[in-house]
Amino acid sequence: MQYKDYYEIMALARDASAADIKRAYRKLARKYHPDVSKEDDAEAKFKALGEAYEVLKDPEKRAAYDQLGANWQAGQDFKPPPQWDEGFEFKGGGFNQDNPAYSDFFAELFGQAGGRHAHDSRHSQGQDSHAKIHIDLVDSYTGATRTITISTPTPDAQGRVQLKPRSLNITIPKGIKPGQHLRLNGQGNPGVGTGSAGDLILEIAFNPHPWYRVLDTDVYLDVPLAPWEAALGTTINVPTPVGSVDLKIPANSKAGGKLRLKGRGLPARQPGDLFVVLQITQPAADSETSIAAYRQLEAAFDFNPRPLWEHP
Amino acid sequence: MTANKPSPVHTGTIIEDDCLSLAQLCQAAGTHADWIISLVEESIIETSGDNQFSGTCLVRVRSALRLHRDLGINLAGIALAFELREQLDTAHAALNRLGYKA
Repeated sequence: MQYKDYYEIMALARDASAADIKRAYRKLARKYHPDVSKEDDAEAKFKALGEAYEVLKDPEKRAAYDQLGANWQAGQDFKPPPQWDEGFEFKGGGFNQDNPAYSDFFAELFGQAGGRHAHDSRHSQGQDSHAKIHIDLVDSYTGATRTITISTPTPDAQGRVQLKPRSLNITIPKGIKPGQHLRLNGQGNPGVGTGSAGDLILEIAFNPHPWYRVLDTDVYLDVPLAPWEAALGTTINVPTPVGSVDLKIPANSKAGGKLRLKGRGLPARQPGDLFVVLQITQPAADSETSIAAYRQLEAAFDFNPRPLWEHP
Repeated sequence: MTANKPSPVHTGTIIEDDCLSLAQLCQAAGTHADWIISLVEESIIETSGDNQFSGTCLVRVRSALRLHRDLGINLAGIALAFELREQLDTAHAALNRLGYKA
């Protein structure tokens, strides 16, 4: 079991006052709240913060934690000293029941969410559990079956709740968009007594693709063209997530111009479009022939690329 | 492990495509009708014509509950947080469309 430095997690000195702790919690909670934060590991950081605050805001728990001493390093292998908690009483400490899965370290010191036992005598429905999964763009195009692994709070033989990885085969519905949520009935936390299990809610995110960008149901693809292809027009073969298509490039196409392949975006109820964004890329003037060709171009055109600056 | 027994495949539903009554929304979000109604009054969520709520409302109600519980934000603050988050999402999407990693 690894030692957790709750003061380090909250960026506090060991002699921080109760007011300092509350302020630090508020500030960091706003920063890492999964509903507002854009940081990748916001959820994990917010959980760690909640656990640290649970201990430091409570004078009893904080005193017990402090008694372990200040010489531990975060992540160091940890065993509580014998009778370390003599004279402390943690029962009914107001645990946050919506967030019952604390770290092993917390569970070893303070037990798991004590308030949960209050429900034992009656039957209640299990809570929904939430997770975010990353799928490939093509999975949304075709629909797919994928095996996902999520961390699920699982009670062990001693009744302590720990996060355990759990594999699940799921169907990815065709046309699902990033940011949408998938509900799997009865796959959430188990109910108590005869209560039914909660649902598993999966937030869908797409793995970044090297070529395609997704905006709602529309998909964007950059297509580089040679200057003469853009000027004279041509037909080129462009990839789509489900096979390539021939695309006619009109003459006098400009860089940044968009060509729309209607209905070739995500196949949602209202199918999106695939936008081909034109880019022009020119070959280097790195040989006598190529330099001569550019010179010929220069001579052939009376071309001012900066007409805007002509009359300031 | 039994090698031959295939594990079951779970098929879910897309929450955003759902259509819920007020009672269903309360149950799914685990909250009271009063709270849902105050979210409607603050125009954090909207009912569709026939007093039905889309699945998107459920996602927003849950998010609003968490913001209220974890950060102590009131309704006006939640509405503002959602609005700013949407502006941020739009800006990120625009950057993404232009090929920048937001």
